[in-house]
Amino acid sequence: MQKLIMEHILSPLECLLPTGNLKYCLLILNQPLDRSQFHHLWSKALLKACADGGSNRLYDITEGQRESFLPEYISGDFDSIRPEVKEYYKVKGCELVSTPDQNYTDFTKCLQVLQKKIVEKDLQVDMIVTLGGLAGRFDQIMASVETLFHATSITPVPIIIIQADSLICLLQQGKHKLHVDTGLEGNWCGLVPVGHPCKHVTTTGLKWNLTNDVLMFGTLVSTSNTYDGSGVVTVETDHPLIWTMGIKNEPRE
Amino acid sequence: MEHVLSPLECLLPTGDLKYCLLILNQPLDRRPLHHLWSKALLRACADGGSNHLYDITEGQRESFLPEYISGDFDSIRPEVKEYYQVKGCELVETPDQNDTDFTKCLHVLQKKIVDKDLQSGKHQLHVDTGLEGEWCGLVPVGQSCKQVTTTGLKWNLTKDVLMFGTLVSTSNTYDGSGVVTVETDHPLLWTMAIKKEPRE
Repeated sequence: MQKLIMEHILSPLECLLPTGNLKYCLLILNQPLDRSQFHHLWSKALLKACADGGSNRLYDITEGQRESFLPEYISGDFDSIRPEVKEYYKVKGCELVSTPDQNYTDFTKCLQVLQKKIVEKDLQVDMIVTLGGLAGRFDQIMASVETLFHATSITPVPIIIIQADSLICLLQQGKHKLHVDTGLEGNWCGLVPVGHPCKHVTTTGLKWNLTNDVLMFGTLVSTSNTYDGSGVVTVETDHPLIWTMGIKNEPRE
Repeated sequence: MEHVLSPLECLLPTGDLKYCLLILNQPLDRRPLHHLWSKALLRACADGGSNHLYDITEGQRESFLPEYISGDFDSIRPEVKEYYQVKGCELVETPDQNDTDFTKCLHVLQKKIVDKDLQSGKHQLHVDTGLEGEWCGLVPVGQSCKQVTTTGLKWNLTKDVLMFGTLVSTSNTYDGSGVVTVETDHPLLWTMAIKKEPRE
């Protein structure tokens, strides 16, 4: 009898490739947007949405051509969205979904709304790409990580978070294969045992690999790691692990 | 045993908190730097932190010489290294790639001063310096905390669980009493906002 070990396969930076037909949804959080990243990701997204103040960022960065950049919906408790921004998108027909529950962040609630729409529209979605969430207030960066933990019970679709030169995603317990040969990979990567020690982690494809090793705060956290050039990284872990990697610098606007 | 802490005390204009200053490789804020530098017992840089110190003290570098600069020296610029070396700052090379420059800088610091132990247990944070911003949080990085009890927060915990996937305290704030107490069974990261000042 063969034991079926499911391997999760992911190409984290695929959404940033100029060509390709990855089916993804785009969520915009309340952090500065990188202009070229934004334009690229917007153009090919199946569905675009903003969490509260993320709509301010969208509004500002699309000045002069706002009508071409209307989100499907804006959700949140609306304590960050500027009145004129809310008015504009409302008038233009964007759905405003009020999610006042203070036990969850706007990001988490925006994901819940997104999943409802993916199901309603019967969309085939490979990935949810989130812009923002990795800079600014430290507690909100931690809240972004917490949302990744909750995401597994909200949607089956993998989620990545991108801001500036960083990407994070949460690798669940099990085996993972990451394709890191898009050409957009920067020169650093890491594995962070947020929330729970990982007693057994094994990797391939990194400069400093792990073999059934412990990753835990206070003992070892893999940061400033890099690739061995093979173009593929595998990670096997007994507890959730944050994968983080650099995105190659492009001339920024 | 209760640990008592006033996190932002070092930023107060008056006071005689005894502290050491470590500078890492990130942009420096001019005013806090000048303030923190002036009253520190000991100042040091981890590798590229010395580049930022060098740049931000242009014109008066001689008044801002660190006791030592430690690291694997892959970030410090050659002219910066030369300058501080000539001026008599200690250069402590720590090439071990298993630890970050920050960690190694702390080891060096430890050798130079008396160590203070921080552990799980009871903590009392004085948050009435007037410099506190509006948000704070408790983050169970690394391990679940099964029993956390707090006072002084808007949303307090009573023997509650803090763990990623269940509950992480973010966007919390103060109840106005000026003191926060935290009791935890495992290490917990305390994070808080510092009030914005006009920055240079």
